[in-house]
Formats: sequence, C-alpha cells, structure tokens
Amino acid sequence: MHPQLQLLVALQDMEQMIQEAEDQKKAAELEGMGFNLGGLDGLKSAQEELEAKIDPRHRNYYRRLTKHFGHAVVPVVGNLCTGCFASIPASFVSVTNENKVQKCENCGRILYWP
Amino acid sequence: MDIAEVLNHTSPDLFLSDLTATDKQSALAEMVTGLVAGTTITNNETILQMLQSRENLGSTAVGPGIAFPHGRTLAVQKLTILIARSREGIDFDSEDGKPTQLFFMLIAPPQDSGHKYIKSLAALTDKMQNTELRDKLLESADFEGFCTTLKEG
Ligand SMILES: [Zn+2]
Repeated sequence: MHPQLQLLVALQDMEQMIQEAEDQKKAAELEGMGFNLGGLDGLKSAQEELEAKIDPRHRNYYRRLTKHFGHAVVPVVGNLCTGCFASIPASFVSVTNENKVQKCENCGRILYWP
Repeated sequence: MDIAEVLNHTSPDLFLSDLTATDKQSALAEMVTGLVAGTTITNNETILQMLQSRENLGSTAVGPGIAFPHGRTLAVQKLTILIARSREGIDFDSEDGKPTQLFFMLIAPPQDSGHKYIKSLAALTDKMQNTELRDKLLESADFEGFCTTLKEG
C-alpha cells in the first residue's frame, strides 16, 4: 500500500474515533457499557503526530475534502467510488492502492481499495 | 439486539481457541492476523493501528476477565467479529488488574447502517456480566459449542 495513503486512512480512522469520543451521546453509550474514554488527550496528540508525518500536499488536500464532504478517503466497492457512486476507470483499478494516491475523477475524494 | 444476530457477524474461521500471545500488543496482533486469515480483509496494519489507538483511549478489558477490542476502520466493509481465548490469560490493562482470558473483537466500517456495531457491542457487554456464562465459554470445546452456550446463557 502507498505509504501516504496508509497514513491518510489511519488518520481518518483516528479522527472518527476522536469525534465519537467527543460526541456526548456516543460517549455516554460506550461509557454505559463500562468503557473508559479517559485517554482522549493522548489520542489527540497521537493524531497530531500522525498528521505531521503526512506530506503537506496530501494533508492540505485531505483537509479540504474533510471540510467539504466529512470523509476525505472513501472505499472503492464494485468499481464504484462510494462517495459519489461514479464508476472508477479500469486503468485506476489496475494500480489500486499500490503506486499512488488516487482520486475520484468525478468528486475528487481519495480512493482506497479495501 | 439478539445474541444470535450478533453471532451472524462471526464464523468458525474467526474463532481462536487459545492465543499463543502473552502480552497485550502481541495478542492484538495475533487477533488481527486471525481476522485477515479468516476473511477477505487485507489491511492488517491499519486495523492494528486503529485497535492500538482505541486501547490508548482506554483499555477495552472491562468485563471480569473479558476484553472487547473494537473500533471503526476503512479497512473493513462490514461488521466482523472475532472471538479469542487465552487459557493462560493476558495482561490487558484491565481495571481490576486481573488477566484477560476471553476476547470479543468487533471491527466495523466507518458508516454502519442500523447501528449494528454499537448494538452488538451492547448485547455482548451486557451478556458477559454473567461470570458463570464466561466460565462455561472458556470451557466450550469448539466454535459450535461456544455459540450454543452463548445463546443459551
Ligand atoms: Zn467520487
């Protein structure tokens, strides 16, 4: 997997985790089951560290997409971008995650083949 | 959510009867390796990283001798549950300081229609308050037996 894409995927996972821990309703649900979410500050520092490892070019693009769409990276399922449901050209599929950070030609989201 | 419905998200290939790992870090890695081996999921690195972040937020060892490593990641397309046991027990940073012997690992996609993930987690944490049931689950011979005991419990 492209190392920058790997970092972007990890960043998005981590940001979702932080969001859910900060969401009072969702946090209360987890705490009600007995889970402790006390390490939120540590997780936020880990998120900053991870973000600093990402190439500024990719990072800025990721930020723009996140602001606009909520999720910057989307999985490709059945040759469709799951962000906008445009089909992904076969030429893209053949390079998948390996060689570069690919974008959907229609919506611009970063593509990930799970 | 009914426990039978929760069990629809696991399979005999996602049952690790006795982990060889002896510490938390390698136990998580062993479970993720099992997850990748038992499914079409490929990105073990991302899943492991997500689970480690989750443990940094707070240990998921919240039941008596039980942990529920869980989280959402782009690396999976549907809720997948792996069950693992450790006869020796593993230090999983539990609140009571006791070793963890039973693990339910729940990995969900970023979006999950019908909140299957949270409902499954709630059903399992609730069910596992019962320590007698936990002891029986540790003794079950195989996946089939484990599921039967869990449904009856
Ligand atoms: Zn798109």
